[in-house]
Amino acid sequence: MRLSVRQRFWRGVWVALKRRPSRILGVIIMALFVFMAIAGPWFYPDRLPYNVDNMYAPISWDHPLSTDFEGVDVLALVITGTRGVLLVAVAAGLVTMLVGTAAGLYAGYRRGAADSVLMRIADFALTIPGFPLLIVLTTAMNFGAWWKMALVLGLIGWGGLARAVRSQTLSLRERGFIEAARGLGLPTRHIVTKELLPNVAPFIATNLLMAVTGYIYAQVGLYFLGVLPLDTSNWGVMLNAAVFQSGALISPDALPYLLAPLGAILLLTLGVVLIVDALEEIFNPRLREG
Amino acid sequence: MSIVELSTETLPGVAISGLTIAYRTDAGELAAVSDITLGLPAGTITGLVGESGSGKSTLALSLLGAVQKPGRVTAGSVVIDGIGDITKLDEHALQSVRGAQIGYVFQAAQNSLNPLKTVGKQLLDLGRSHRVKDLRGLLREAKVLLSRMGLAAERVLDSYQHELSGGMRQRVGIMFALVLNAHLLVLDEPTTALDMITQANILQIVRDVHAERGLTTLIVTHDVGVVAEVADRMAVMYGGRVVEHGQTMEILGAPRHPYTRGLISAIPRLTGPVDAAKPLPGTPPTLGTIPRTGCVFRQRCPLRMEICDTVAPAMIGGVACHAVNETEQL
Amino acid sequence: MIEGRGITKTFASRGGVLGSQSVTALRGVDFLIPRGGAVSFIGESGCGKTTLGRILAGLETYDGGQLIVGDTDLSTLKPKAREPHFRRVQLIHQDPYSALNPTRTIESTLRDPLRLRAAQTGKPASWVASQTEELLSLVGLDPSYVLPRYPHQLSGGMRQRVVVARALTVEPEVLVADEAVSMIDVSLRLGILGLLRQLRETLGVSILFITHDVATARYVGADGELYVIYRGQVVERGPVETVLADPVHPYTQCLLSAIPVLHGLERPGEDRLVPKEPLDEKMEPAGCLFAPRCPFATEVCVSERPVLGRLGGTPQHHACFFPASRHVVATPLR
Repeated sequence: MRLSVRQRFWRGVWVALKRRPSRILGVIIMALFVFMAIAGPWFYPDRLPYNVDNMYAPISWDHPLSTDFEGVDVLALVITGTRGVLLVAVAAGLVTMLVGTAAGLYAGYRRGAADSVLMRIADFALTIPGFPLLIVLTTAMNFGAWWKMALVLGLIGWGGLARAVRSQTLSLRERGFIEAARGLGLPTRHIVTKELLPNVAPFIATNLLMAVTGYIYAQVGLYFLGVLPLDTSNWGVMLNAAVFQSGALISPDALPYLLAPLGAILLLTLGVVLIVDALEEIFNPRLREG
Repeated sequence: MSIVELSTETLPGVAISGLTIAYRTDAGELAAVSDITLGLPAGTITGLVGESGSGKSTLALSLLGAVQKPGRVTAGSVVIDGIGDITKLDEHALQSVRGAQIGYVFQAAQNSLNPLKTVGKQLLDLGRSHRVKDLRGLLREAKVLLSRMGLAAERVLDSYQHELSGGMRQRVGIMFALVLNAHLLVLDEPTTALDMITQANILQIVRDVHAERGLTTLIVTHDVGVVAEVADRMAVMYGGRVVEHGQTMEILGAPRHPYTRGLISAIPRLTGPVDAAKPLPGTPPTLGTIPRTGCVFRQRCPLRMEICDTVAPAMIGGVACHAVNETEQL
Repeated sequence: MIEGRGITKTFASRGGVLGSQSVTALRGVDFLIPRGGAVSFIGESGCGKTTLGRILAGLETYDGGQLIVGDTDLSTLKPKAREPHFRRVQLIHQDPYSALNPTRTIESTLRDPLRLRAAQTGKPASWVASQTEELLSLVGLDPSYVLPRYPHQLSGGMRQRVVVARALTVEPEVLVADEAVSMIDVSLRLGILGLLRQLRETLGVSILFITHDVATARYVGADGELYVIYRGQVVERGPVETVLADPVHPYTQCLLSAIPVLHGLERPGEDRLVPKEPLDEKMEPAGCLFAPRCPFATEVCVSERPVLGRLGGTPQHHACFFPASRHVVATPLR
């Protein structure tokens, strides 16, 4: 039976995931977070129910992760906060992917002056200390809109991906199949998109997922430090409130309120790491079919 | 008379018997080397010929006790005179035997040097790891070997890998294998990726060093020509099995196994009719496609019989082939 | 037909602190590849034979001389205008493992150049599919087996056949085969060589066969010309069988002496030389390039450089002051 290229790809993905149970766990974790991000807010009213008489409630079926300083359910806060966190991180990741991949491919394939200029810019983007710069930028710009934040994060973070894609492209460029494509007179557009890109894809995907976790940290960190307006639901806002309002570091009652968003971040990072492990096999047809 | 006795005592012969080496894969444990019984008589050069996937490199590594995971020796033994069954030695014992008693020149020795250290530094490292007391003596021995192979010894010892040509690196590899006075020398594809002239020089060196130092040598290659130039005896491997072995001259002059015959007649020559060279149909098997039962060569064999599908032919008189045995018995 | 006249090429390599150092790859090479013919370049690695092949395929530029493809002198054209001419020459890489994109099936590898060709020549889409199958059958592969597969699922020999099929998609006039079988299993090599020979007959393509293995060159183009190249200079040139039967340049004789003799099957030539390999190639001799390694070098060889000619009235061209017949090739016992 002949399967289409797409069917073969998905079958390969399944084979790669099955090879290690940890990868399936990674996918489950990611699916859970994506589900929470998309559907989470639908389960809750815009203003979460609060009960000041039930602050820092003991862990129970009603409040499996305790409640916050206003008696709001912490689990509900984590779930409703997911959308904001993931939206910004994924959008920033897309910006990084587009800019980094385009710059890396172009620099690596064209070489010469274009390469030098693009890589100097990439080095510049790599050397500026991202997080302090973000703090400075928050004072100059209003990061209230999620897309602004995503754009800035993405534009700060593309340097590493561009470098990785470029070095990969440079080595692929000398390979026989790229030379053959040039010798056959295939247009540059074809060579870059059909010959180079699929071979660079695992590097893009790996770097991208790592960048996305970095963006989650950066974003949560900004909220935590309180340099962004605290009027949205976000894990960073929770951390900020837990530490600075509830004194979770000294008061054991408020500990679940602090640990819940931290746990969410760790779990999400774990999911990313477990999936990255499978990416190389998914994109490489040789490993895919084992 | 006494000289002959002495030499057979000091030179290590090798007796491989019933050796099977399997690799663990997704499809289960697959044998890369199956039930090989082969002797390397002391003082001879044996050529081991095979194509990719024939198991020749795996077999060579087993002489060092260095079969890599996920592979392991599942049956049989490799007995080296003066050492014992190397498949039974522990890692510690193996390390002291490697280099000191068994010299090994790795496949692509051209790239097996440490690029960050000079040859001399690596030589001293080797000496220290084998607890050589007299490092000066080691250097002296290395210089003798390098000069013997036509190199400027001092300069080579001060060089980094990238400063040496392919032929020079190969010589350095041979020096490393012999500098601790090993008497069993294993060379894995010693001339692959070298030019014809460099190859001829290296083969000449192998021949000379073998004779001068009184070695027992195994040379692993895909190239029948290399074996023809240096080896007294040869063994032909296919699909993890030795299909024919014997005196090199006799096998080349009158090959008996259909694979050996096909392999030799597939080599284009410089003289005689161009079309004397005949292609061998089919492709050599890989680890996953080696037939589990019957003869490993039957799919490409012009002499295939019914019994070949079910029974692996036994090695009789130096050849493992049902058809050959049948006709020779008549 | 492709003709080269006095092709030169020098690579500038940065030599570190002491300034740049340049390597001369080709020193004015003349050659002619006739339509449907076979020409073999032999020599050691670094002699310039690979560079010459890459120049012909348009993958490398040349510094001086003329390159004439068909009736067009490429030297007169702008680099951009040379491209379509270079397409008439296709290179078969040494390494069939890196010559195919590992992420693409054979079908898509072959389809894209054919689609481009169909678009250029106004052929229907159905032509692409039928041509794909036809080319695979031509190179001796079963289309239904090969098309849906990825390169890693094929043997080295099959991959090299796919590479040949891909080169044929643009209907080239010349195939440049650079060590095309050196990485292929011994029992499969002859099949690839035979394929090249067969393509000459069926399609009329010329073959430029670049190798260090003279016997394979003879198998593909016994009726063609053999060029022996040493350090960027052609040192002997003539019909394959003439040069092999009666080589006159000491370098050719060294090369042929280095070929292993199948003892038991053949007898070594009585004049077989013991060739010396180059252990220091950096210096540039004033005289004959081969003099430092030549067992027969005299004073004049060290001071003057011989040019390609027929000194001594030999049937082939050679660049030696003292051409002499020596019997270095093995002869079959039977």
